[in-house]
Amino acid sequence: MAEDYLKELAETRKALLNILEDVEEARERAEEEEDKTKAIVSNLADGLIVLDWGNRIVLINSQGEKFLDVKTKEIEGKSLEELEKDPIEKLVKLILKKKKLYREELPLEKPREFVLEVTTVLLSPRKEKVIILHDISREKTIDRMKTEFVSFSAHQLKSPLTSIKWALKMFLDGDLGKITEEQREVLSKTYQTNESMIFLVDDLLSLARIEEGRYLYKLIPVKIDKIIQSAIDSCQKKIKKKKLKVEFRKAKGKIPEIKVDVEKIKLAVENFIDNAIKYTPEEGEVIASLSFNKKEIEFSVKDSGIGVPKAQQEKIFQKFFRASNAIKIKSQGTGLGLFITKNIVEAHGGRIWFESEEGKGTTFHFTLPFT
Amino acid sequence: MAKTILVIEDDKFLRELITQKLLKEGYDTSEAVDGEEGIKKIKEEKPDLVLLDLILPGIDGFEVLSRMREEPNLSSIPVIILSNLGRKEDVEKGLKLGAVDYLIKAHFTPGEIIDKIKAVLK
Repeated sequence: MAEDYLKELAETRKALLNILEDVEEARERAEEEEDKTKAIVSNLADGLIVLDWGNRIVLINSQGEKFLDVKTKEIEGKSLEELEKDPIEKLVKLILKKKKLYREELPLEKPREFVLEVTTVLLSPRKEKVIILHDISREKTIDRMKTEFVSFSAHQLKSPLTSIKWALKMFLDGDLGKITEEQREVLSKTYQTNESMIFLVDDLLSLARIEEGRYLYKLIPVKIDKIIQSAIDSCQKKIKKKKLKVEFRKAKGKIPEIKVDVEKIKLAVENFIDNAIKYTPEEGEVIASLSFNKKEIEFSVKDSGIGVPKAQQEKIFQKFFRASNAIKIKSQGTGLGLFITKNIVEAHGGRIWFESEEGKGTTFHFTLPFT
Repeated sequence: MAKTILVIEDDKFLRELITQKLLKEGYDTSEAVDGEEGIKKIKEEKPDLVLLDLILPGIDGFEVLSRMREEPNLSSIPVIILSNLGRKEDVEKGLKLGAVDYLIKAHFTPGEIIDKIKAVLK
């Protein structure tokens, strides 16, 4: 009996040892896996932070530590609200503002000047959150260099274009001796061509300025209806020449002042009106309207012009794009006007859109919010 | 007596063109190719009006304006800025430093510049 019992015991022991061995193996495998994951996470070129459901920091990889100038020891287990040191504080503010971030840019000054692109991913079952930090400083630098190059070259072009303009004008004015009718005609056309080149350079410069981000200058409260009226007034010559009927319809009531970058909004308004006049045939109609509600003002310009061909409508705000029927009427044009206008409006937090039917007319709209 | 206009402009061709136009309109002219020479001629010749470019080798146009402001007997000479710098910041800076007008070169013809000069000297 005792012998049987001992034998059974020995077998049980063996079985137990076997199980233990298996467990040990499984544990080793799991550890290996964990090590692998850890190695991958810590060697990523992107910064990575994992938060638990209560926004406490579970993990930060070494790239993340470097980006944010922190050590794991200092922040592990802490909740986001507790982190008040620059630059991590800036990141925390951004994360707490929105539930989900996708490629949101975060410019940082410390530990060095650079720009991070922040994306957050929610891991659903346990509500953990992964924050991915991607360094886009290099892209930003290249982009800035490109803009500076455009700005620099455009500027360099201005001086010779000015000389040409002045010289041609002096010929045309007879300052350099009498000229024949034939000569005048050719010189006039040359002068006009040079003028459109100056416009192109101006547009390139505004474009470069928009992209440099220093485009919005000083926001000051203005009466937008005054800006619209003066934009219309400055086109009177062209309006008379084309015998256009131009109207400005203002909403009833006192139009509240709105905070804008005056020079830029002027440009946006002028672009709308200028386009309407340019692309509306003689004796056509242009109606500018201004309305407002509690949140925003809306400015629109309706014309009885050539319209935008349906197939090309989605491209109308693209850089350098000009509709085929517009090119036919006006061969000179930069294709930058509406692109610039869109940038200006959006930099102010407004919206821009249009409706158009080829051969009937177009209405362009933009809104500007009061805050 | 004809009024004297001092043209401070580093581009030779532009300087020649505007000078020629000024002479044709009956003004006396004087020329300077940079800020340094400009200041010297302002002091020596006391012109009736200065046409001032902003981007100049050495002392730039803004500096010329600020130096003129420091000297009471020069600060009364009217200065019209004639530059291709068109940013609002530049325009405001120029006017703040005491220029009577700010013309963007590429947007004005010689004739229109003369009109501005006439308006200032009236």
